[in-house]
Amino acid sequence: MSKHAEFEVSEHEQADNEAFLRGRTVGGERYIKRHSRQARWTHGITVICCIWLMISGAFVFVPPLAQLVGPGVVFVFRMSHRVIGVLFIAVPLISAIAAPAGVKHIWHNNVCKWTEDDKKWMLLFLPYLFMAKWIHMPDQDEQKSGQRVADGALWVSGFIMAFTGLFLLLNSTVLPMGTLAHSWLLFFHDLFFCIMLIFALAHIFLGAGIFQPYRGMWKVMWKDGLISESDALYHWGHWARDVLKTDNGVVRKKKDEE
Amino acid sequence: MTEMAILFDSSRCTGCRGCQVACKCWNDLPSEPTAENPYDSVNWDDKFTHPADLNSCTRLIMTFNDFESESSQKRVGWAFSRRACQHCTNAGCVNICPAGALRKDEDTGMVTYDQDKCIGCQNCSAACPFDVPRYEDRGGKTVINKCSGCVDRVAHGMMPACVTTCQPGALQFGERDAMIELAHERLAFLQDHGYQDACVYGESEMDGLHVIQVLKHGMDAHGAVKDPQIPAAAFLSGIMKPVTAVGAGATVLGLAAMFGLAHGYKRDTLVYNDGTGDTISLESGQVTKQGNGPDERTVVESMTENLPEKVKDKLPASLAQGKKGGDDDE
Repeated sequence: MSKHAEFEVSEHEQADNEAFLRGRTVGGERYIKRHSRQARWTHGITVICCIWLMISGAFVFVPPLAQLVGPGVVFVFRMSHRVIGVLFIAVPLISAIAAPAGVKHIWHNNVCKWTEDDKKWMLLFLPYLFMAKWIHMPDQDEQKSGQRVADGALWVSGFIMAFTGLFLLLNSTVLPMGTLAHSWLLFFHDLFFCIMLIFALAHIFLGAGIFQPYRGMWKVMWKDGLISESDALYHWGHWARDVLKTDNGVVRKKKDEE
Repeated sequence: MTEMAILFDSSRCTGCRGCQVACKCWNDLPSEPTAENPYDSVNWDDKFTHPADLNSCTRLIMTFNDFESESSQKRVGWAFSRRACQHCTNAGCVNICPAGALRKDEDTGMVTYDQDKCIGCQNCSAACPFDVPRYEDRGGKTVINKCSGCVDRVAHGMMPACVTTCQPGALQFGERDAMIELAHERLAFLQDHGYQDACVYGESEMDGLHVIQVLKHGMDAHGAVKDPQIPAAAFLSGIMKPVTAVGAGATVLGLAAMFGLAHGYKRDTLVYNDGTGDTISLESGQVTKQGNGPDERTVVESMTENLPEKVKDKLPASLAQGKKGGDDDE
């Protein structure tokens, strides 16, 4: 938000704003409901599965790790990789079937037309990461343009990892498809592991609020699904104003202790 | 290390399959019924190669390839071939094995393995141009099974089991250079006697195999893999390890830099008065945006308007002007 942005307001508007500021905490601070309980549980289970899949997969992918712990431990990791892999596929699938409207909503947010603000946000994002103190980011709708790219990459890589992983499992058990299929499945599993790892690191950095401008963001997915009015206005300004105006999905409560 | 090799001279082979039996005996491998030849069946398929391919308890098979002969007396010709690990110098299976179970034997150059180290990932099968590695089930755990080059016997001064049993002398074992020399002598002999398609296989394939073959009727007739290469996907999978390491490392470094540069970051608490449509800073009481319209700043203005004054002073005039606020579209 610009430090220099100042607007001339009429006396009537000024008085209205002052009255609003005096009475705004009556009944508690305003928070916006961003993620449902089901979305948070689905996200939480998928994250835990994903982390375990990355750790257990690393013991096959990274030779020194496999050789360090020996074949017995690697065997346990490999078997757990299969079981957790099935969970990684099944949980989002069941959740999607249980809430088709949610899937439609996510899909719409990811593929909707980019506005000028979206394009500008995307152009500014890389410099912003290194100059967050100074760069003004344009307001965003419910899904930032950068989120669409990053989440899209996670969705696509997650889907391809799940697909190739499932067929690698079938290939070595009930549906042998030959060495050529095995080698290409393995390559795409490795390739999208690389892509997913890079986007997951960035996702954790931002989503967990390690990056200072995103501090406190973890609560949105890992606590109660609520985001403070101020953070919502900073991150998703257009969306926050629309929600606050309608008051639909706005919760009043005592301010969170940071 | 002395490079050793098995020499298989197909022109001397009688197809007795004694080598298959010797391999099973030495390695204590069972002879299990197969789909082509169950114990209780008298129905043979039309192939003499048996079992049809390598399997979890068969490390070596002799293949019987028939072809139309030019001879008026023998209308059907036979090309006997040896199908087992070729013990490549550039062994893709060794390179891709994450567990270090597959290795090059330091004394002979043969590709051997330790089943106790195998984790059963089957990556080696994806990296073998000859489709050799097979896997056996050890109480729920899958481990590799393939020709080991009998490095255990060789270490004790013996020859590989298959070589010792070969009655017609089609199999020999010795220093690789000597085996290649013998192969070329035999090749010259065969070509002198009208076998113009005859060739030596294994001298340069995969940077040199440790099974050298004299193929009396040529590569096609014997079913040899022409110009074998590590499969592209396996090669690419090998590249993905360093690529992933570099990608993840660079990402972590970049994120650490972002974290360091954002040290001390603070911003005003914002609230929205839906009555006036103003977004207000709680700290300053200033309106920071009116309405919910699109941002009118350019990308450059967004980057430069909040820069410290001393930095701004050094920027060209066209870059230093920051546009304020947004539109009131109410």
